[in-house]
Amino acid sequence: MSENIKFTVNGNELEAKSGELLIEACENSGIHIPRFCWHKRLEPVGMCRMCLVEVETPRGKALVPSCTTEITEDLVVETESEVVTKAQEGILEFLLINHPLDCPVCDKAGECPLQDQTMAYGPGESRFVEEKRHFEKPISISEIILLDRERCILCARCTRFSDEISGDPLIEFIQRGNKTEVNTFPDEPFRSYFSGNTVQICPVGALTSTSYRFKARPWDLKKVSSTCNCCSVGCSIELNTSQNKMLRILGEDNEFTNQGWLSDKGRYNFDYLHSENRVLNILNKSEDSFNEISISEAMAKIKNKIDELDNPNVKFLLGSSSTNEEYFVINEIGNYLNKDKFLSRDSSNIYFGDDLLFEGYFGDQYSQAKLEDLDNSETIVVWAEDIKDNLPILYLRIKKAVKNGSKLIVFGHTNTSIAGLADFYFGADIVSNKFELIRNPNEIEDLKNNIEGKKVTVIAGKSTVFQKKESLDKLINFLNEKSELQVFNAFSKGNTFGALQNIDEVKGLNEFCNEFDTNAKNIVFTIGVNPVNSSFFGQKIKEKLIASDFVISLDLFVNETTELADLILPTTSLGEKEGTVTNMEMRVMKQNKILPAPGSTLSEWEYLTSILNVLGEDVNYKNENEINNYLSEKYINQEKLPTFDNLNKPSNLFGVINKKDININIKDLEEDNFSLLMVRRLYGDSSTQINSPSISMLGAHKFIELNSITAKKYGINSKVGNLIQGPNSILINIDINEYLPDDLVIAPINRRGFENIDPCLDFDITEAKNREELNVN
Amino acid sequence: MKETLLLTKHMRENPENSHLIDVYEKNNGYSAARKVFKENNPGDVIEEIKTSNIRGRGGAGFPTGVKWGFLAEDEERYLVINADESEPGTFKDRILLERDPHQLIEGIIVTSFASNISKAFIYIRGEYAKPARRVQDAVEQAYEKGYLGKNIFDSGKDLDVVVHLGAGAYICGEETALLNSLEGRRGEPRLKPPYFPAVKGLYNKPTLVNNVETISSVPWIINNSGKDYAKLGVEGSTGTRIFSLSGHVNTPGNFEIEMGCSFGEFIDNFGNGIKENKSVKAYIPGGASAPWFTGEQLDIKMTIDDVANAGSMLGSGAVVVMDEDTNLVLAAKSIVSFFAHESCGQCTPCREGTTWLEMILERIASGRGRTSDIDLLLDVCDNISPGLAWPPQMTTICPLGPSAVSPITSLMGSFREEVESLLPKKVLINNE
Repeated sequence: MSENIKFTVNGNELEAKSGELLIEACENSGIHIPRFCWHKRLEPVGMCRMCLVEVETPRGKALVPSCTTEITEDLVVETESEVVTKAQEGILEFLLINHPLDCPVCDKAGECPLQDQTMAYGPGESRFVEEKRHFEKPISISEIILLDRERCILCARCTRFSDEISGDPLIEFIQRGNKTEVNTFPDEPFRSYFSGNTVQICPVGALTSTSYRFKARPWDLKKVSSTCNCCSVGCSIELNTSQNKMLRILGEDNEFTNQGWLSDKGRYNFDYLHSENRVLNILNKSEDSFNEISISEAMAKIKNKIDELDNPNVKFLLGSSSTNEEYFVINEIGNYLNKDKFLSRDSSNIYFGDDLLFEGYFGDQYSQAKLEDLDNSETIVVWAEDIKDNLPILYLRIKKAVKNGSKLIVFGHTNTSIAGLADFYFGADIVSNKFELIRNPNEIEDLKNNIEGKKVTVIAGKSTVFQKKESLDKLINFLNEKSELQVFNAFSKGNTFGALQNIDEVKGLNEFCNEFDTNAKNIVFTIGVNPVNSSFFGQKIKEKLIASDFVISLDLFVNETTELADLILPTTSLGEKEGTVTNMEMRVMKQNKILPAPGSTLSEWEYLTSILNVLGEDVNYKNENEINNYLSEKYINQEKLPTFDNLNKPSNLFGVINKKDININIKDLEEDNFSLLMVRRLYGDSSTQINSPSISMLGAHKFIELNSITAKKYGINSKVGNLIQGPNSILINIDINEYLPDDLVIAPINRRGFENIDPCLDFDITEAKNREELNVN
Repeated sequence: MKETLLLTKHMRENPENSHLIDVYEKNNGYSAARKVFKENNPGDVIEEIKTSNIRGRGGAGFPTGVKWGFLAEDEERYLVINADESEPGTFKDRILLERDPHQLIEGIIVTSFASNISKAFIYIRGEYAKPARRVQDAVEQAYEKGYLGKNIFDSGKDLDVVVHLGAGAYICGEETALLNSLEGRRGEPRLKPPYFPAVKGLYNKPTLVNNVETISSVPWIINNSGKDYAKLGVEGSTGTRIFSLSGHVNTPGNFEIEMGCSFGEFIDNFGNGIKENKSVKAYIPGGASAPWFTGEQLDIKMTIDDVANAGSMLGSGAVVVMDEDTNLVLAAKSIVSFFAHESCGQCTPCREGTTWLEMILERIASGRGRTSDIDLLLDVCDNISPGLAWPPQMTTICPLGPSAVSPITSLMGSFREEVESLLPKKVLINNE
């Protein structure tokens, strides 16, 4: 279908696939055609006219925009003729007549396509002597994005991205002709999870972010590639620092994962690295407060405590921000501490801090999906927590696949944000309010007809900790039997899959609570996790931690969990350590170091190795590379090892996919009675977010969702109300969501104000009474 | 020299109520529709239009029969009547809409039958409030009689007509911008290729876009014959056309004539010469987009091909006459202003260039011109329309940009001294 065909550019014969765009084919052959509005990942529009080239037509030579011209057999193209050069100079002169001379104060200077192309293709001078067009500048179009309409060259990249890619068309052109401007709709700011991408693709300094504005010049920046750890898609990113401060994160175009895009959380959640609240020295609990001590004092204290406690249980509560190398060392120390030297145990004492983690679908009977499989799938099936909020780039890829013809089937009730995209949305009549499958999948005609014998990708996860695995099993086994199925386990947190690959046996937070023996001696490590704040089991875990004999926290901040510790060992974070992470495709990717470890922070593995040493174990890893070599040995495909050397090769810059055996030992909860469905949202009150001032305001929005019938039952008619449970009363926005079933009310689990809300207790919703209450952010 | 009345016959004979359906029917109205349903041969209808050699009356002058032949096969096809008459100087569609809407509706019925179309849209410019009301009423009258709706004329075929109002944008007269506007999007032209309306038009389905006058001519062609239509006018410009005459003539107005006479004859006969007996300095042969002819070129024939060969276009048939005392720089500025105001803003050269041209002309007209301004004007024009050739090349998406260039090339081509007289004199120092 797409064979190679020959075409001629500037007298040279070249080859390209039939139907490829002329501008892209030239780019691939090393011939650069200047452009503003064309972007590899957006539909071409031919608006800026900068890419005009001359082609031979039956009626002589014609100027055509190369971004909308497809390669045809024997096409003859001139990109450097006099006519083309004059057109290029003309277009640049036109663009510059109203463009303000802001370069000295504009963020984009130094990495600006308009500057660069003016130097390369533009006229030497402007002949415009009239008054330039003026707008009030800049204006805030959201809490984190600013728009300068004078600088805007109306290339429509931002509006096209918002419409085509993110599906949030909150910015659009208004007016026409010379008065055209980009703007938002009245009372509807540019609140999109993906708004930061428009700043990255804007070819001038019209869109800027409050996070980076006026911070640096591009030539001052040090840059390194890395992998984001906000969710388990693992987007490829570029870290930009200057004077040892992280200033900016950009998306890199990884064909297999994020294709250049980032969520705003992945892009802007890094200020916390330099927060004054960050713990930089080891903190020791004495009386009820912390004092700073040295590492040798800390190690001595730990050794003494372990000796003193004489055969304690040692348990690990893990987060998702550690690297594979760190998980490997955690596993090693877990194994060591649980050998016959201490209480011998058959099963591990490692618990992962994700309420929604469960056994999942691994092993030989299920085929592991890749993100590119979405593009080749005839049908995509989703049953998981909210994809848009928890795996935002996965949402973009699903959207892209649907646009290209894949069918989408969504099971309720936690994915209403993609219900509009879906061909079939299975709500109350198929999924109960307790997330049971109330109909046999074989009898759901719309499901059967669209998966039988077809290529299907399923995204499977629990919607709530109360959900029984059985309901998912019914669906997955049906799909596995009837279709060519690829499976994503929708465990959304950071490096979950890195933990699963490198830890012998992983259990859940419920298991932690149940297995905790208050009569025994207990030492608990918490590593990069804050379950007291974010887990359903938070209160129980708090009790256990208080009841423990010794708690050691490896973390960045003092928070609800770490404040209960006896020792806080401050660790390194994004950009301060080197390692690998594994994403939901089992793709192992590199994280690179660009910042020095601040204060006295060390990496998690460095602390754990010290602890092992102090207990007499002769373990010494020189560096992450060495640890990586050890853990690489255990991968199944020995031809494609994710060693640092391998991952640094140009052909592997996008990561290598490799598998290991996975062992998750988590049982369903006994109880399934919840009255309020609490879900995770993209923005919340994790310690990193509340300490990142550029975006911490985004997690302050308090709301509940319910359908209109449920609202009526509570007697609600307004958009603002109170959620009341016991002594707690929270002022909230009330969002009516008609995709929800009756009697299901959704509240966010990770928002300030909701910490004391218990999903199992009864609650009430009342309307806000007086006018002052209506001013909810 | 007399008018030949085809399109305007009914409205002249019934000046008070030609727009009502019973008056239309008493005058042999809807007989063409009945005829085509009786003979039931769509192919024949298209042949008849091809034989008539009628060319589009909107401005481009494309052979209508050929256009109908291009319409791609599809279950869903649409007919769109372009009643967004906005070319300055043109006011002929207005009378057809206001005074003979049923002629248009009958044309729509025949066209839809010939091309197997069951939904038609009439896009009327928002400013035409009264004509739009008349058309809407006429459509309702037709529905009542069973000429529109389900099973029209008992033929088993359906035809729905939707009247839609524009919102004040000249660019929505460009067919693809019109389709965008009809779809609820910004009225911006689409790229051709791939969005040729005959293949990918309204809602990406094959669509016929035709001018009001073109479709209004269809009933006569069916009632008489394509051959009879081709006998009127001259070869290459068959049939009759309504020309809108305005400017410094004594009797401006709409006149329906067979094509073939010269502009001079037209102006003398129907315009009754120039006011106060002045001479013609320049005239626009076909709407604001067309390059001007001078007073010395009044013998050019009013046919599509003759005007094209002389370096302009017959376009929408709007003749605007400027007498010897006209300030041509202001005239050019007025036209350029119009295009700058109406530019959709999509592409750089038109959006920025037309306003720049307007600003330069403003300075020249008000005495603040510079000696470099003439070359600057022509160079800016060249960057919008490379080569300043006719027919124009474009760096733009649609011909609006090059349209703004026409008055300036006309001004500089034939009236350069008038512009130079407004610029500061170059001072010679030491015989340089």
